[in-house]
Amino acid sequence: MTTAIDIRGVTKIYNPGSNQPVKALDNVSLTINDNEFFTLLGPSGCGKTTLLRLIAGFEQVSGGEIMLFGEEIENLEPSQRPVNTVFQHYALFPHMTVAANVAFGLERLRQPKTEIEATVERVLTLVKMKHLGDRPPSQLSGGQQQRVALARALAPSPKVLLLDEPLSALDLKLRQAMREELKQLQKETGITFVFVTHDQEEALAMSDRIAVMSDGEVQQIGGPTDIYEHPVNRFVADFIGDTNFLDGEIVDFNDDLVTCRIGSSSMFEAENSGGHKVGDQVTLFLRPEKISLSAPDAASGSATRPGKVANLVYLGNQAAYTVDMGDGVTLTAQARPREDGNLPFAIGDPLAVGFSSRALRVLPQ
Amino acid sequence: MSNWLPQSAAGKRWLGLAPSYFVIGIFMLVPMIIMAVFSFLEPNPYGGVKPVGSLAAYVKLFFEYDLEDNLVFNPGYINIIFRSFQLSFGATLLCLVFGFPVAYYITLQPENRRNFYIYLVTIPFWTNLLIRTFAWIIILGRGGVIETPLLAAGIIDDSLRMMYTDGAIAIGLTYSYLPLMVLPIYASLEKLDFRLLEAASDLYANRLEVMTKVVIPLCKPGIIAGCILVFIPCLGAFIAPNLLGGGKKLMLGSLVQFQFASARNWPFGAALSMLLLSAVVIMLIFYARAAKKRAAMEGD
Repeated sequence: MTTAIDIRGVTKIYNPGSNQPVKALDNVSLTINDNEFFTLLGPSGCGKTTLLRLIAGFEQVSGGEIMLFGEEIENLEPSQRPVNTVFQHYALFPHMTVAANVAFGLERLRQPKTEIEATVERVLTLVKMKHLGDRPPSQLSGGQQQRVALARALAPSPKVLLLDEPLSALDLKLRQAMREELKQLQKETGITFVFVTHDQEEALAMSDRIAVMSDGEVQQIGGPTDIYEHPVNRFVADFIGDTNFLDGEIVDFNDDLVTCRIGSSSMFEAENSGGHKVGDQVTLFLRPEKISLSAPDAASGSATRPGKVANLVYLGNQAAYTVDMGDGVTLTAQARPREDGNLPFAIGDPLAVGFSSRALRVLPQ
Repeated sequence: MSNWLPQSAAGKRWLGLAPSYFVIGIFMLVPMIIMAVFSFLEPNPYGGVKPVGSLAAYVKLFFEYDLEDNLVFNPGYINIIFRSFQLSFGATLLCLVFGFPVAYYITLQPENRRNFYIYLVTIPFWTNLLIRTFAWIIILGRGGVIETPLLAAGIIDDSLRMMYTDGAIAIGLTYSYLPLMVLPIYASLEKLDFRLLEAASDLYANRLEVMTKVVIPLCKPGIIAGCILVFIPCLGAFIAPNLLGGGKKLMLGSLVQFQFASARNWPFGAALSMLLLSAVVIMLIFYARAAKKRAAMEGD
């Protein structure tokens, strides 16, 4: 597998030497493979956009180096780097038509006119915008502008496409549709996509690999299931999806399982990820969808624990239940509405709460 | 409720706008009409006009009477008008060349410093233009600030004769009206979305192309406004042409001033002013059209 981008120990400090230097990136190293849909995911201010701007060349690194297909690009102007960017607010040229916007990069590359026309038509067809080629951007909807921005960045066939939260300004339906289209487009063109987002759902849905960032550092790099099922720390587990955290102490363990005391006397078993010993203070985590809720009398064969509905939030296709397990322990779980549309449990109802100890994992400290 | 006040919505609207109608009428429309009327009257040799209708003032723009009282074409005034346009055009171009970088520089400053720079740009307006133009005589003149050190250093051995030239007039005009170029360009640059510059450089535009393909087209309204704001007063200017041009080479503005002051030919002065006015109106129509086209393009 070819490495598209190799980021080696990159540090970025804004306003160095001033009395308020801001460290946006701290010794970040990661590699992005060719033909990969790679996502930089994190809350705002985590440094993900800074990293993207360093790759594009809008900012200079304070330390470390960035290699693009094996070449050091630090001294190249943005205009000399074979990467294109889809900007968060599209940054379409308001004084040019859609077609002229798309042709802009090709003209700067001094391509022959006939070739430019052919490429413009091809990429506008690709993003389903061919019929609006002679409109100015101001006459387009947000979703259409998004497509033009995409076409404009794809037209010069960059080696890497950088996408800076391109979907954040769209409404929910459009955002979901664009996710699939972007993923599809990436497969079709074979261009390496580096996608920046703070939306974990977006990241999980589209990416081949995800780098979760916070406070200017990479917390974890991995595929969507890795990140979701095996987060390396509390930040990642918390940022990706909803989760229950249980803080406690290991009281016993064997090769398979560890036993933890949560609260004063509640015992929970969890998968043994190795390296634990009795007396360790640990955090267990349990995803809500891995908890099954049932009425106490209808409890199935698997071991359940008694609980009580403390609160519920109706979400349409499901309801999020806060379950009081006693001993100061509460869990968040989900249940689907019944076929008649009513929710299976109401606040105050007793519950049988079931989950496998395989679903409970110890967070590395 | 007093019943003499208009009750209808249209009437109330009219009442609200009445002060501005009044001001525009008294201070703009009426003087303009007086000027137009005067241009069609005969001059009174003791100043003012005689209430006798005449086209003489307009005829005088192009013709003169020879010794036998025949009308012959006289290019003298046309030449002055032509020269005025040339010099004003030159000064406008110089203002653009110096003003644009200044405006651009100010735009790139941190927000809290920009107003300070704009304030600096407007400072010359606080002093009388006459005095500031006199300063240029000291700078450009024989034995002035530029010549003396050059003479002393032996770089030149004679006066550069910079005063009383078209160049001196152009410098004076450029200096006088530079702020009028900087301010509108700054106003449009300030609204410029600088992310567009990043987008352009991301799409392989070099620095020059970023300027010519993105920045300049987008601040065209400011550039056009600045050019009009400089060009029009240049056409009518008389201080710089009189002081720095030595009064030998007249410009339209000095010609008008001369007709009202020394020559006592008010109708001719008025006719010249009407000519100046038409030039200005034509340019403003051109500007309005360009602005309209642009607004249609950008949909705002």
